[in-house]
This record gives sequence, structure tokens and C-alpha cells, in this order.
Amino acid sequence: MAKQSPSEQLDKVIGRLLGAPGTPIPRDEAARPFDPAFSPVIEVIAALRDLPRPDFKARLKSDLERRTSMATPRMTPEFRASAIPYLSVRGAANALDFYKKAFGAKEVLRLMQPDGRIGHAEIDIDGAKIFLADEFPEAGFNSPESLGGSPVQISLQVEDVDAMARGAILAGASVVRPVANQFYGARSGHFRDPFGYTWVISTLTERLSPEEMQRRIDAMGSEPNAESQAQAQQPPAVNYIREGFHTVTPYLIIPGAAKWIDFVKQAFDAEEKFRAQRPGTPAGEAVSDVIMHAEVQIGDSMIEVADANPQFPAMPMTLLLRVDDPDAVFERAVSAGAETIQPVRDRDYGTRAGNVRDPFGNMWDIGKPFPGDKIFREFRSVTPHLYATNAAGLIEFLKTAFGGVEVYRVQHPDGGIPHAQVRIGDSIVALAGGHGPYQPRPSTIHLYVPDTDALYRQALRAGAESIQAPTDQPYGDRSAGVRDPFGNRWFIATHVRDVAF
Amino acid sequence: MTAKIDTSERLLIEAAQKDPRRFGDLYEANFERVYAFIVRRVHERADAEDLTAEVFHQALANLSKFEWRSVPFAAWLFRIASNAIADRWHRSQREQGNSAADDPPDPLGAPSPEETETRARLFRLVAGLPRDQRVVIEMRFTAGKSIAEIARELGRTDGAVKQLQVRAIRELRSRWEPAHKKKTSGKKLSAKHG
Repeated sequence: MAKQSPSEQLDKVIGRLLGAPGTPIPRDEAARPFDPAFSPVIEVIAALRDLPRPDFKARLKSDLERRTSMATPRMTPEFRASAIPYLSVRGAANALDFYKKAFGAKEVLRLMQPDGRIGHAEIDIDGAKIFLADEFPEAGFNSPESLGGSPVQISLQVEDVDAMARGAILAGASVVRPVANQFYGARSGHFRDPFGYTWVISTLTERLSPEEMQRRIDAMGSEPNAESQAQAQQPPAVNYIREGFHTVTPYLIIPGAAKWIDFVKQAFDAEEKFRAQRPGTPAGEAVSDVIMHAEVQIGDSMIEVADANPQFPAMPMTLLLRVDDPDAVFERAVSAGAETIQPVRDRDYGTRAGNVRDPFGNMWDIGKPFPGDKIFREFRSVTPHLYATNAAGLIEFLKTAFGGVEVYRVQHPDGGIPHAQVRIGDSIVALAGGHGPYQPRPSTIHLYVPDTDALYRQALRAGAESIQAPTDQPYGDRSAGVRDPFGNRWFIATHVRDVAF
Repeated sequence: MTAKIDTSERLLIEAAQKDPRRFGDLYEANFERVYAFIVRRVHERADAEDLTAEVFHQALANLSKFEWRSVPFAAWLFRIASNAIADRWHRSQREQGNSAADDPPDPLGAPSPEETETRARLFRLVAGLPRDQRVVIEMRFTAGKSIAEIARELGRTDGAVKQLQVRAIRELRSRWEPAHKKKTSGKKLSAKHG
């Protein structure tokens, strides 16, 4: 008898375990003896019998989504718009996108002019109608950008002001007044959109009579003016860079962050300075603590680290590590579990260096500069190294977005950039086009700057995309986030007050 | 500084509690384990789908009652699932004219939470297979189609489909095993080597 191929035999096994289509899964079959050669895959096959149908997951999801959109809270009826605001906007198409992202607006209508401008559009925000169009200065229909602002504010009454405020901030609205409980029985905040309009978003918290509102206003008038008092007590000035930090700090997002911290302690004498964690879910495969944010110091530099998760997938980085004895540090890194990429040797650019990959995917270039060295000369203990397909473009971005100064560039005749350095504030960021094991991959970097709001705007003008508009953080920073056109994430922060952890 | 990367399950839950439109993230994170939990207890695909849908609809409706402190979210979903399975069992007992017993009998060899998780992990691995391998696995295992039927529908030869099947199973086995081995089948596999 002809011998059956492995794929043939495997299919026979599957056939036996599956039974006839449509019948209950024949569980007893699993107990019958199989050719021992198949035992490693029997469990996989047995488990696959329970595989959900491919369309079921998506179908149920859309059912649930239909239900949530129907359950979406409607506006308080007494505030339903009876006079519809008509916004004149420079860049109405962008504004439509923004209102969708920021407020969950639905586009109802869009009419185009022959010249490509939007002549009229209508959106619906939770039942409230808003009209908008591109500005037509020739017809006296001017945008806030042309006029230098708008005296009219738009009041949105919503079910959950905090949720909508978060959406607006994430989409790039700036906070004029943060959400707070107000004397008139609402919780509200003021937000300016990128087109110059201010939105007052609020949720009713108390039903008050006009007399009660007036009484509260009168009572406030007789109390010392809280706002001017706050101004009189200016907090003491603090350095905009948090203590122990420099302008540039690499931020690693990796799986197994807690184990990575152990690794850098062992390999590089890192010192753990801060850790915020929560217990891992016992249902997961490995029960280890999940690092939400941690800070370690190596030499004179800090590295921030957090565990990757589905929303923030792993973003390991390449780091240049300046040490006194590269051979010894390299040995320790390898014995702590790092994999050798290139052993330590003298490099022709004037550095003795070796390269390793740590078990978490980060590359380390461990080097010591010789006198006259061109590469490591200005480096601190840790310098982040970015790789981009378009390194020249990234250099331009760092200059225009963050006021970076190009201090060094090696360029091949074909335009390839094997190494360049840009100084931002008091630190260097190294970068290059990808090559060999160093392929372009986005990184996350944390910047401390004197004015987060200004630099955030500058970065957006330079082509970055907003991840988070400037926000005051409970840990004493005002911070914002942008993604550059090359996929790197930049957290921009100004330290405004010291907070004890 | 956690605000910058605050994306734990807890925040997903809080976000969905404030805005039900965010429930989709929780659904994505938990679909496979809920389905795995149910399918091992009811054994019929149609019942498993009905009950899975019921669990997520109930979870969405009752999300505001979930408190982070009391139990992990997955455990909460499993509790809803157990209740839904028990309800269905009582109903079918009544329809068959049996007096309702206290509780459904514990299904033979009801899987442990670890096994449920392991199974859910396999389902997610299937979703990550190369497209042509994934399609073959789905057609073979969820539609119960034969190699010949699959080959006809995909316009490929029987041999090619069998190859895709064997590659997919091997791939799943190699990626599934490391975590799986620790939990349940260490003995079996090491016995083979020994």
C-alpha cells in the first residue's frame, strides 16, 4: 500500500476528530488511540473544533455598536437648538473632520462650490444642528482666523461633559477653562477648536431657580476674589526640567517592563527611581506586575519605561550607551541575557564600541569615545538613536518642530545618511537611515521644554499630528503628545511644580 | 506620569462606563475568552453563539454596576455567562417537563480558567495566521468542510489546501505551546520525549 503523505495523514486525523458537519463534536473520539506521531497536534486540533465562526465576532460587534449608538445620550431637550449657529471657517473640510473626531459629530450634508470650497455643510452633534462653510471674504463671510477671533461662543449641553472634553482634547482642542462644577448648577469647561471657535461644553448637575443662581452670584461677590488671590500667590518658580532629567529622555514601551528593569540593573547598574504598577491579571498567561510607568537612571541619564499593551504596542528603541569600559559592560550585558550583534572593537570613527540586543528588543550601542571621537563626543550616558527611511526629512522636522540644531551629519553621495546628530535643548538625538539589523522603527521620546503649549503648536505646524493637547498632569507637569510624520511619538512637557510621589 | 500611557483594562472599563460607544474595546479584549468559556460548556455552536451574544449584551447593559475593586472584568463576564447557561438549562428542563433541579450538572470535565484562557489564546492565534492558512482552518473547523469542498471554493488543488492546513496546524502548535505547556499538558508532552 502506498504510504500517505504527512498532510494526508493529518487530514485523516482531523476528519476523525471533526465528525460529520453539523453534528455535535464527537468528544469521545479524542479518547481513541491515535498514531503517537500525531499526539503533539491532537490538542491543537481538538481545541480548534471550538473555534468561533469567523463572521460571528464581527456580527456581534456590530449588533453591540448599533445598540450603543442608539443608547447614546441625547441632548437635554429644553436646550435643543432652535437658532442654528452658522460657522465661517478657514478650511471647512478639516473642520468637519475635527468636529467628527472631537465631538462625535455626524456629517449630514456637504455642498461643494465649483472652486472646491465648501459652500454649505451641516453636522449633527447628539441632535444639535450646526451649519458651517468655508469663509467667503468676498461676500463678507469671514472666519475667526481672518477676524482675529470670534465673540460668539457655542454652548453644547451634553450628557457627559468629561467624556466629550476628553474627546475634544484628544482631537486637538485647546483647554480655555478646564471642566469644573459651576455655581449655576452645571459642570462645564471651555475649549477652543483649531479654527478659532470656543465651545462651552456642559452637563446639568442641579436644577436651580433663577433666584438661587442670583443668590449664589451675590454670595460670591461678597467673598474675597478667589482668582485674584490665586494670582497673588504665584507658586515658586521651578525648573521646567524635572530634577534628574534632561531635555531628551527615551521612553521604552516594551513587553515585560519589570523584567527589563531587572536586566538594566544587572547589565548597566541602572538605579530604579520610580515605578507605578498594577498587578497582572491572573487570567493572563504570565502573572507579573504590569508597569504603567517607571523611571530608571543609568549614569547621568534617565530612561522611562512602560509595559506594552494592545493600545500601545511595543516600541523598543536603539540607545547609545557611553561608558568607561565598553568591554566589561558588554560582557555584563551579554551575561544578563543580551544577544551580541557586533562584538566590541575599535571603530574607524574613533570609538571603541560593541552592539547588543537586549531580550526585550532594544538595541544598545555600548561605546567609549577616544580623544577626537566624532560620534560620542557630546553624549550623555544614554542617547536615543532614531531610524527613519527619510532621515533627512526627520532632521528637518526636528529643526522646525523642536528648534533642533544639526550638529553632525554623514551623508553618502546617494543621499543615504548613516549617522547624524541633532541637539535639542541640552541633549543630543542621534539618527540615521536604516541599515542591516537597524531598520526604521518608530520610537517614543519625552522632551522637557520651557513652554509646552508653544512647542506643541510649533510641532503641529511642522507636520506632527496631535496625540494629546497640552494638559496639566497631577504629577506636576503640563504635557502634550504628538506623532511626527515618521511615526515617532513625542511627549512634550514643562515641569510646573514639584509633587511628592 | 501614568496619564501618558494609561491604557489599562481599568481605564477601558471606566471609559465605557462613561461612554457606551467605547464598549467595543472591552469586547475586543474579551470576546475569545467568553466564547471559549461558553463553548466548552454547551458544546453546540449555535447555543454558544446565542449565549455569547447574551453575555455581551448583558455586560453592556449592566456595565455601570461593575466595580473595579470587587472582581477582575473577565471573572465578571464569566459569572454572567454561568448564569446565562444555568438559565437556559432550567428553561429547557421545564420545556421537557422535568422539575427544575437546583443547578445544571457540572459539565463533565468543565475547563479550568487556565484552560479557557489557553483556548482563547489559540483563537487569537488563528486570527493572526496568514490569510490563506486562516481561511482553510476556518472553513475546515467552523464549517466542517472537506478538503475537496474547500479546494473547489478557493479554486486550488486538494494538495495545496492540505499543505496550507498542515502548515497552519504546525504554526499554531509552535506558537501556542510555550504558554500552553506550562499550564496543562506538560506531562503528556514530556512523556513523549522521555
